[in-house]
Amino acid sequence: MKNYLLNKRYALLVTLVFVLMLSMVSCNPEAVQKVEQRNWQLTWSDDFEGAAGVLPDATKWTFDIGNGGWGNQELQYYTNRPENVSLDGTGNLVITAKSESFGGSSFSSARIKTEGLFTQAYGRFEARIKTPYGPGIWPAFWMLGANNQTAVWPQIGEIDIMELKGHQPNINHGSLHGPGYSGGNAITDIYALLNDRFDNDYHIFAVEWDADKIDFFVDNYLYERVKKSDVNSKGEWVFDHPFYLILNIAVGGNFVGFPTAQTPFPQKMMIDYVKVYQ
Amino acid sequence: MKTYSIYSSKKIGFAIMSLLLILGCQNDFSDLQEAKYSVNPDVFIDTFSPGLNFAAFGGTVVTGFQVDGNVSYNKSPASMRFDVPNVNDPEGAYVGGSYFTSVGRDLSGYDALTFWAKSSQSSTIDVIGFGNDFGANKYQASISGLALSTVWKKYIIPIPDPSKLKIEKGMLFLSEGPENGKGYTFWLDEVKFEKLGTVSHGQSSILNGTDKVETSFIGVTKTIDGLISTFNLPNGVNQSVNVTPAYFVFTSSNPAVATVDELGKVTTIGSGTAVITAKLGDVLAKGSLTINSAGTFVNAPTPTQDASKVISIYTEKYPNVPVDYYNGYWAPYQTTKSADFTVNGDNVLNYTNFNFVGIQFSAPTVDASVTSHLHIDIFMPNAIAAGSSFKVQLVDFGADGVAGGSDDKSSTVTFASPTLVTKSWIGLNIPLSNFSGLTSKTHIGQIIFEGTNITNFYADNIYFYNDGSIIPSVPTTVAPTPTALSANVLSVFSDAYTNVAGTDLNPSWGQATVASQVLIAGNNTLKYSGLNYQGIVLGSAQNVTSKTYLHLDYYTSNSTSLKVYLISPGPVEKPYVLTVPTGPSPSVNGWRSIDIPLTAFSPVNLSNIIQLKFDGNGNIYLDNIYFRN
Repeated sequence: MKNYLLNKRYALLVTLVFVLMLSMVSCNPEAVQKVEQRNWQLTWSDDFEGAAGVLPDATKWTFDIGNGGWGNQELQYYTNRPENVSLDGTGNLVITAKSESFGGSSFSSARIKTEGLFTQAYGRFEARIKTPYGPGIWPAFWMLGANNQTAVWPQIGEIDIMELKGHQPNINHGSLHGPGYSGGNAITDIYALLNDRFDNDYHIFAVEWDADKIDFFVDNYLYERVKKSDVNSKGEWVFDHPFYLILNIAVGGNFVGFPTAQTPFPQKMMIDYVKVYQ
Repeated sequence: MKTYSIYSSKKIGFAIMSLLLILGCQNDFSDLQEAKYSVNPDVFIDTFSPGLNFAAFGGTVVTGFQVDGNVSYNKSPASMRFDVPNVNDPEGAYVGGSYFTSVGRDLSGYDALTFWAKSSQSSTIDVIGFGNDFGANKYQASISGLALSTVWKKYIIPIPDPSKLKIEKGMLFLSEGPENGKGYTFWLDEVKFEKLGTVSHGQSSILNGTDKVETSFIGVTKTIDGLISTFNLPNGVNQSVNVTPAYFVFTSSNPAVATVDELGKVTTIGSGTAVITAKLGDVLAKGSLTINSAGTFVNAPTPTQDASKVISIYTEKYPNVPVDYYNGYWAPYQTTKSADFTVNGDNVLNYTNFNFVGIQFSAPTVDASVTSHLHIDIFMPNAIAAGSSFKVQLVDFGADGVAGGSDDKSSTVTFASPTLVTKSWIGLNIPLSNFSGLTSKTHIGQIIFEGTNITNFYADNIYFYNDGSIIPSVPTTVAPTPTALSANVLSVFSDAYTNVAGTDLNPSWGQATVASQVLIAGNNTLKYSGLNYQGIVLGSAQNVTSKTYLHLDYYTSNSTSLKVYLISPGPVEKPYVLTVPTGPSPSVNGWRSIDIPLTAFSPVNLSNIIQLKFDGNGNIYLDNIYFRN
């Protein structure tokens, strides 16, 4: 058992808590953050250590399999084949979206989840990811409410920690979906890299979630805070029960648009680790 | 048990602050390293940037480029306007030119040339890029077929390897012709170099990304081509960039076998194996060339035929006729590939994975009726397996001049052991008469090689030639000028001497022959058309006992029988058989000269010669008929 501690993560002297993207590109160095100090205890993780070509740890992950659009007019067929999802042998999980005819779809990919194996309410959920890219490519690291036996989306709630449109590979979207604020009407904000892209190197995507708010981070920079009161002004706060984790690459769909002849394939999402803290 | 302390908070904060400083102030030049050369990224913002010159390309409409104060991106004061001409505009066929500085700039801190553009109609710019300095264009990079629309959009041309552009003069160049024959206008604005950071995943290829293996020899040179560089643009789309070899660093795994220069020219210098690879920046390019060198190459013998008697398909010695291709890659059954090489300036065809291959010359076809032979030098680098054969087929396209018409004729000649030998040039001189089914030779359009158990061969010096046996029906040159001294000559018919007076060259003996005198290259020549027999009556009886020979120059392309007679009273006559037709050596340009010993005419009375006679068939040209010592 490993024990991970995060010490004094946000103790820096700072002046501003919420900083939007535009202020980041400013020449003025006054825009810096103050975030309260936390102590996190690791509750679940996967470092994706293992031999190349091996499927992810079956005690931690299960698969969504099939096509049909997944409610978003997505074009891919999700499989549990190593060519779509496997370890790379150097400590990463690789999800690969391929342009190939498979199961009646024009693309194959993978979507893995911890449903039935691990769920948690509240805490810090993070992953270190190098994203895929290209028009119509839609990678995501996200969570759904585990109460889907008794409720249906959006009532169960959805927290999107990393979501990216492949034709805008420098912009991460952090979103909440729930009753009154779902689909195109979700509560969302973006974090954009200036002069860089999320597919050039690994970046850490995280949320910190408690009973009153959800904070969104990229590379430990807080770019979005959604308070329960904000949510209640739009609909119902449903982030009060355990959620499970999902990693996937969708191809096409309502969020991202559709791939073009110029979309490079195959596309790979590299995941160094996923860690959950309480 | 491990304990991880993730990130000191100070480091995080410092990193964020650094980020803000760097990202926020990238255009402040004072932050950049001091450079020997200007790092000014601007090409054309609202006007020419300092030091920028413009020169139009040859053949362009020189006034096609203007600084436009009316149309611009983002209401800036001016843009660059290009007025593409209509087809057949007398002022020029296209617009284009280069914008360059006289002193180089250091562009190594940027990763792309960017600009905003729009056009009066949807259009595709033929080529646009940078690195054209009206000099070596060493680090030229460009995009072909850049699609513009009628609204302002930003375009990005990635720099394949910025570290190369330390002293670059070529800031922008472009070339664009009419769209569907019609002219139109397009504009560029805010043209500048930028450090975007979002031009990613650079990949490059040599040899179009293939791993090639080639047999080679000392002295063989080959230039690595198929150079491609691809970058993913900030919108996730891949963009190919045309690159010059100078962007690549080429490497030979074994420089004792093969060297490669900075332009990708590979020279084999030893025997063994070497693998040529290339890097663009830090990234290994896809594709490689493996050289398997067999050592010293023996060139095919240099042809020795006189150029006037040759129709060359593939030689260095003679000018080649227009050839459509030396390998037609005929689908679907052909397996033959080409791996042609050049050894010390000598080009050699190399057919690998050989089953059959065609060489075509259809525009125009070749009239081989004036030649007698087909010559090919072939070299079999591998052992000759039992049952190997090598076939040469000639195809005449017929009067319609196209392959596959109703009038094609073809014929094949087959070679096998012992003609076929390994590791030595085999010089094939194939008489065209051996191509028995080739009933027409006036529109030859293809040479086809076909092999059994021969997987690889080299070919060189492919040409038709005339060994002299094929001559025109009418002489094109005069008969050889006589060299005998006048004092030793008794002349019957020659411009070089005084002829026997009163001689009748066309006595009426009931012959069918039409005798006449014609000018051949300005020289009076005796012509017998449709010979059956023909007499010559001397102006007076001649005693030729003091002479030794009867000399004749004769020429015939079609006679199959020709005899000459001396006649003395009686009449006593004696024929002498002449070799016809007169094509092959020792004829010169079809003229055959003969000195017949007078003893051959015994029992004719040489002291009283009154007539000469010819009989036989065909059309005969005669000159310089005389007796001599």
